[in-house]
Amino acid sequence: MQRRLLAGFTAAALLFVAACGDDDGTSSATTAAPDTTAAAADTTGAETTAAPETTAAGIDGTITVPDDFATIQEAVDAAAPGALILVKPGTYQEAVQVTTDELTIRGLDRNEVILDGNFELDNGIRILGAKGVAVENMTAMNYTHNGFFWTGVDGYRGSYLTAYRTGDYGVYAFDSMNGQLEYIYAAGSPDAGVYIGECYPCNAVVDHVVSEHNGLGYSGTNSGGNLLLVNSVWRFNRAGIVPNSGSYELCYPNRETTIVGNEVYSNNQPDTPAIDVALLAMGNGILVAGGVRNTIERNLVYDHDKSGIGAVPFLEEDPNDSVPGPEEWDTTCAEQKQQAPVDPGGPILWDSQQNRVQGNVLSDNRVADLLVASAGTDVSTLGNCFSGNEAATTRPNNLQTLAPCDAVGSGDWKDGEYDIVSWLGEVHPPSVDWKTATMPDLQPQDNMPDAATAPAHPATDVPFEVDLAAIVVPAKSS
Amino acid sequence: MRLASAAAAVVMMLLVACAGDGERAGESVASPTSHVHQHHDDRSLGEPDRPVAGPQGAIPQFLVECEYSHAAEDDPIVYPGEVGASHLHVFFGNTTTDADTTIESLAEGDTTCDQRLDKAAYWAPALLRDGEMITPVKSTAYYRPGIDVDPTIVQPFPEGLVMIAGSAGATEEQPVSIVAWTCGLGIERAAAPPECAPDRVLRLLVTFPDCWDGEHLDSDTHKAHVAYSSKGVCPGSHPVPVPQMQFSVEYPVSGNVDGLELASGGLLTGHADFMNGWDADKLASEVELCLHREVVCGVTSGRKTG
Repeated sequence: MQRRLLAGFTAAALLFVAACGDDDGTSSATTAAPDTTAAAADTTGAETTAAPETTAAGIDGTITVPDDFATIQEAVDAAAPGALILVKPGTYQEAVQVTTDELTIRGLDRNEVILDGNFELDNGIRILGAKGVAVENMTAMNYTHNGFFWTGVDGYRGSYLTAYRTGDYGVYAFDSMNGQLEYIYAAGSPDAGVYIGECYPCNAVVDHVVSEHNGLGYSGTNSGGNLLLVNSVWRFNRAGIVPNSGSYELCYPNRETTIVGNEVYSNNQPDTPAIDVALLAMGNGILVAGGVRNTIERNLVYDHDKSGIGAVPFLEEDPNDSVPGPEEWDTTCAEQKQQAPVDPGGPILWDSQQNRVQGNVLSDNRVADLLVASAGTDVSTLGNCFSGNEAATTRPNNLQTLAPCDAVGSGDWKDGEYDIVSWLGEVHPPSVDWKTATMPDLQPQDNMPDAATAPAHPATDVPFEVDLAAIVVPAKSS
Repeated sequence: MRLASAAAAVVMMLLVACAGDGERAGESVASPTSHVHQHHDDRSLGEPDRPVAGPQGAIPQFLVECEYSHAAEDDPIVYPGEVGASHLHVFFGNTTTDADTTIESLAEGDTTCDQRLDKAAYWAPALLRDGEMITPVKSTAYYRPGIDVDPTIVQPFPEGLVMIAGSAGATEEQPVSIVAWTCGLGIERAAAPPECAPDRVLRLLVTFPDCWDGEHLDSDTHKAHVAYSSKGVCPGSHPVPVPQMQFSVEYPVSGNVDGLELASGGLLTGHADFMNGWDADKLASEVELCLHREVVCGVTSGRKTG
């Protein structure tokens, strides 16, 4: 019943044939043996694997594209949960839809297995409510929406993925929990290169990412709860890492995101595509915009026109609900979905509160290495703390004396108080069309180990454990 | 079986569409040069149980964002073939929409939408300030199950469906569950444009019927063949649940609302028109993948590309 009917322009005719063959309408299983597909023409250099076995649920074992099926979509549609889909080098003009649990979809060569949306197709691979799907070792480019997109899933993993020139996000997980995004290169999105939104607790790890030339390197609206961003590089975006809150989507506020061991630099890039909040956030390294209880430690943050690490408010002029107080910060996403919103009757202010900023190394952030501000709230009451950071400049001045972590602060909060409202009136270099923005050429990216021989590895064991204590401030790479 | 029946349905729809053409032709007796708008008793059957508002992400949806395409005094639903017979409309989606547009011609056009397989024609009356057209920012069409409707039974719009929501002849406030104004993505719904904060956009929100009679692709009023569900159920006269499409037009208007007027007259005549030019397989796929599987396939973040 759930047979997907559309893979993309090139696959439509083949799917038509396949769907017509599936005429009992009771199962998505195909009974066609793989070798009956007309398109299995080029078997030269095929990775020989055990012959796939067809069961009532679909094909088990390993399915090779284009040998067994001409398109990734056909292989996905034919696969039983647990199957491994191996994709050989080539350009695939597909928008792949995945609704089968626990598939592993793997490219044999990250740099040569290319999904190309040609600025016409929406998502490279979209996983819709299917549990435990892992996507590995391939590139998606030129999609009008997203490169790789999981929505409404429990269990997801994206490893060794490249997303390049996409209309919304590069790698995107929404309303999903228990995930791992790792060894990602994401460039050329007006929103975020990597985004995890609408989850609490998220139980997810973002590890070994390079995100550049996006509106935002990372964005996470209303996400958090055992959500780790570690060991990654965020550079040459309008803004680097931006956890944020807003009531236009559920599961507010952003909370409990742990950001450790990242190199964040030169996020002042004027020639990227950019949504308006990316313009608003421009020139900041790590900017918490209305988020609470985030942990920011041992990051290297340098060369920003505004702040290295900032905790600032987000003014939501047209809200959909009232701001939840601290007593509601433990409310899970699932619980909040059952609650009726309360019209606040006017604008709401998401203050950044109770964030802990420790042991970071900052330099050449030209408004301040460390910044905390509000738009009407007494910032001394917000509970953000700053200790052990190498920071030459702060706003207010002497911030680490005013608000040390786990100690009593002292001093004058008015000394060097920062007028954050001034950002609202600033003019920035305008957004550039994502389809034509100047981009660095796509460089070869690291392949996953043993792509041809590693067994299927569905996302049933994620997130992977991270030894946070072992992470040190990264060395400067530039 | 699915595609076979779909193909049969297409044939049927073409037949129905031909009949529909006849109806439209019969209706267009209004003087093409009079520029007098013919308004039927064009109240829709029913109305939504409540306005569709609140945070996204609670119910399944997919959406299509389209740049502004063009404006013309054309209306291929109400005044087919009569160039310049209508009040001024702003068009989104299909780039070729004019008085001569047909379902068939939509396939030949391009689209301003981010979903390239949506070549539907969407339009609304132009918003004027002191008589001058305000060029809209963009449109967004949200496709969702009707309120409390079982998402898994929603059927795609039939090929060739046309419909109008809201009343161009309204002289009183329309239900905000059908026609509403709002600022940005906020939860407020007003019958007339509110004063929005600086940098916020004024939005016109028109919620289309989510039930179809299963037979007609159009009707004399362009509304009688569709209806609104209530308590999660479509009326017996219109038994087929289809997506509840909420169409939003964003205008670069904040602050003072003095001098604003819709080209259809006053500020209470909000309405919108739709001709289904979706790639049929893609629309069916989105309904199945997003609505039937009850996942969120996209959200508007309240942000605009700067």
